Amino acid sequence: MKAMNRRKLLTASAVLAVVGLAATAIPAQAREVGVSPTQIKLGMTLPMTGAASLGYNKIPGAAKAYFDYLNANGGINGRQVTLIVKDDRYVPTEAVAKTNELILKDKVMALLAPLGTANVKAVAAVVNPARRGVPVLFINTGFSGFADAKKYPTTYPVLPSYIMEAKIMGEYIKDNFAGKKIGLLYQDDDFGSDALAGFKTAGINFAVRVPYAAGSQTAAAAAGWITKFKAAEADVVILFGVSSATSAMLGVSAQLQYKPQWMLGSVGGDATTIKLTGVPAGVLFNAIGFSPVPATTDMKDEYVKLFSDIYAKAVPGSPFDLNVLLGMNTAFMAAQALKAAGPNPTRKSLIAAINTKGASFQNSALVPTNYSKNNHVGLTGYWVGKYSPTGDLAPIGGTYVAYTTDSGSGPVVKSNYKRPAMPAKGLPN
Amino acid sequence: MKKVRILSLISVTALITTVLVTAPTVANAAPACDGKSPIQSCVGVTSDGAPYAMQVPANFNGTVALYSHGYRYNVDIPAGIPLIGGYKVTNTPEPVPNGNAEVAKYFFSQGIAILGSGFARQGWNPDSAIKTNVELIGIFKKAFPKTKDVIAWGASLGGAITQGMAEKYPSLLSAVAPMCLADNVQPQLTGAGDFLWGLKVLFDPTIKGGNYSAGAAGVAESYSDLVKVFTVMGKLQAGIPSGAWPDTSSATGKALAAAGVPSRSALLLLGLMAGLPTQSAHFDSISGPPGALALSFPLAVSPALAILENGTNAAALAVLATQDVENQTGGAVFDNTKTDYAARIDGERVIFNAALSGNTVIDALLGALSAANPGAPRAAANPVAVAKMKALHMNTGKINVPTILMVGVADPITPAGASQRLVDLYVDQYAAEKAAAVKEYRTTREYKNPKNNLLMLWNTTPASYTKFSELGAPITTTPAAPGTNHCNFTTAQLLLVAKSLVHAANTGKLPSGGAMYTGVRKAGNLSIDKGIYFPWMKFYGDN
Repeated sequence: MKAMNRRKLLTASAVLAVVGLAATAIPAQAREVGVSPTQIKLGMTLPMTGAASLGYNKIPGAAKAYFDYLNANGGINGRQVTLIVKDDRYVPTEAVAKTNELILKDKVMALLAPLGTANVKAVAAVVNPARRGVPVLFINTGFSGFADAKKYPTTYPVLPSYIMEAKIMGEYIKDNFAGKKIGLLYQDDDFGSDALAGFKTAGINFAVRVPYAAGSQTAAAAAGWITKFKAAEADVVILFGVSSATSAMLGVSAQLQYKPQWMLGSVGGDATTIKLTGVPAGVLFNAIGFSPVPATTDMKDEYVKLFSDIYAKAVPGSPFDLNVLLGMNTAFMAAQALKAAGPNPTRKSLIAAINTKGASFQNSALVPTNYSKNNHVGLTGYWVGKYSPTGDLAPIGGTYVAYTTDSGSGPVVKSNYKRPAMPAKGLPN
Repeated sequence: MKKVRILSLISVTALITTVLVTAPTVANAAPACDGKSPIQSCVGVTSDGAPYAMQVPANFNGTVALYSHGYRYNVDIPAGIPLIGGYKVTNTPEPVPNGNAEVAKYFFSQGIAILGSGFARQGWNPDSAIKTNVELIGIFKKAFPKTKDVIAWGASLGGAITQGMAEKYPSLLSAVAPMCLADNVQPQLTGAGDFLWGLKVLFDPTIKGGNYSAGAAGVAESYSDLVKVFTVMGKLQAGIPSGAWPDTSSATGKALAAAGVPSRSALLLLGLMAGLPTQSAHFDSISGPPGALALSFPLAVSPALAILENGTNAAALAVLATQDVENQTGGAVFDNTKTDYAARIDGERVIFNAALSGNTVIDALLGALSAANPGAPRAAANPVAVAKMKALHMNTGKINVPTILMVGVADPITPAGASQRLVDLYVDQYAAEKAAAVKEYRTTREYKNPKNNLLMLWNTTPASYTKFSELGAPITTTPAAPGTNHCNFTTAQLLLVAKSLVHAANTGKLPSGGAMYTGVRKAGNLSIDKGIYFPWMKFYGDN
């Protein structure tokens, strides 16, 4: 659009607000949308049903488990945190409709952890949380573009970018699979574009690249993908897609006895989710995986221990996996952001809190975050692991070695980040 | 204008005819009135030959509501042409929207007269229509000297005419309501041209899509185009499930088909690059039938069906308005020699990535449509004709009087972005007025806050609305969903606008406060949410 800029957008809001302000009596002390003396309302959209929901539909339960724990321990300055969850089925237009509901009908203070690059982009374009001043906290997508504070001034990624992940994967490949034929399965959208950019920066040349359109990841499609990888004689196959794509690929590969060296991207690399689809644990054995947070089986880790205890009480019988850990970690970070936003948090003070203090928010990740007013980059790296015979991801050699990089041309380096001790009882301080 | 509108027009004609008396044969003569009570009906002809109609209640309070009708084709349409065949050019006056009796009744109940011209020429006519309306206001005031306030409203091109009057002659008007506002001629025809050009270069290279011959030959070419366009749309509809391409497809189209590009993805891309909404009368791009297609239908199919439905609705106007403006200006006015279609859809390609079949397919389509592909020759305009087109009346967007805008968020012909443009421009205007007020304060120590002169009513779509048969097939026989189709307003919504105009005329201010919120809520499917935003028409991104 030719003549539009942010100044105009904000002024537009102010002008149009003239009517709105006149419409209702203004209380002596204006209260922020979604914040009452007793409650803070947050809203989340993500796929709870449908093909793409696999694994990710545990995130709301995990976040709620943490918020229940937080609320039982006094909440945020006495306010209970309520999370309203809507199913968008991983359909961008549905994410738009459900987000509109959250903002206009449910009147949430902020959006928390919406999932999917296309969905977050659709919401940004159509619902305009930036124009409305609605914070979009700790989104579940690693698309690098969302770190652009000018374009998405109220949106905060938490996952490392897909470019970072691909660069780190690339370095691992160069160090360990030099001379091997590499194949890549990727989602044929911005998710995949980021991956391609990262691999290009890392200098990886593929023997074969197999794109799939979002929503097309079926067993029948996977059979076709395998044909292409076989034809290219790929030694190493990287699965850089959503969980349902990874599961379809590994499941059909098991049936066809196709056994390249697997390398799994973090988005679709949760072992619990994969095994739930019927993929034998042995298929995962020795696959390479990447994660920014500790292994979910690492009960020596104070966050994993606390979060798994909380989750076990909140959702008995449900396995504690990567999606759960990430969901609880996100809720924990949101709690810190709300606490940092002051005794009477507003949307503005919440955004200001992340901009000024977000880089120091504690969390379970083994790499730092990098929030500032001009840069909304979340976590900045991964550790590399292998899947065990039972299909669990564990650090290679038993010790976490994390790598960090950026979404540009910066090098991949070993991280010297020392994670601060978890605050007492895992509550924001 | 789509078939439903044509039918509406026919009913309007019938209604108005019942109140007409014999029109004077001398142009610009005083209106001929029937002298009846409680409603007196008058007719006449302005100096340009445009017939008009007035209806004045016995308790006339000095306010008259002038309505400007929307675009009417300026050529008869042969009966054999699908969807719009049988249309006859008419300049029957339309003093209330679609002859809505409830709206007229409301005005009469308030002692307000209604007034409307059929305009001297149909087609793209703001220049002549604005002059006609100004003259008509003078005629009315002369006939009814009690007249104090004129409120003006109009739909579609009538909205643009109304806005144009408010810009050029603000002293004549107390309040205005451009509804489903048409943008200026170039943005409108650019959108039309982009879509027609895309249909031509992919699906049927024999479609002209513009650059029609002069006179009757050009009209005949436009008839031929209408048939071809509707035929292609029918073939695309048949190919939606399988992705099959029309047998009339170009070599470029056939190459894409051979590469496995589904025709529905190509159609969707054309719609996106032309700025058509991805929600239509029956397709919300959200719902799916129960079962296997529950997810894939909204993700991969529904957006293309929405473009098909919207594109079919808009195609006739695209062809006929292009032919009309070319006829007025003497040559081709659509030019895409420098258009970057990849940039055009940069925002949407991620959102509709699945329906577009992924980046690989999107890039293949954009490559096929690029200026570098000789198989998709770009359209070049006639510079003289473009200069003449630019000399036609253009609305600047300045808000001079209390103004109410209302538009469907998924209007395929006058997109919501056309109204958004006025909202955005008013932001600057209001800021300047406020700055001036502050400057004035510094010298006089009296601060007078500028009043808000703009109210935007968004006619919203339901959260989801696509219905399916027991077999899972989408149902397209139900009425169009709110917020979709062209100027698809309910009587309750029109009445809200009418009442708001009257309020503004009486008080000098737009309605506000609880009463307005209640009115908006009761009218249904309306929003004044300040966070709603729609992109301007695609033309503005190119320039």
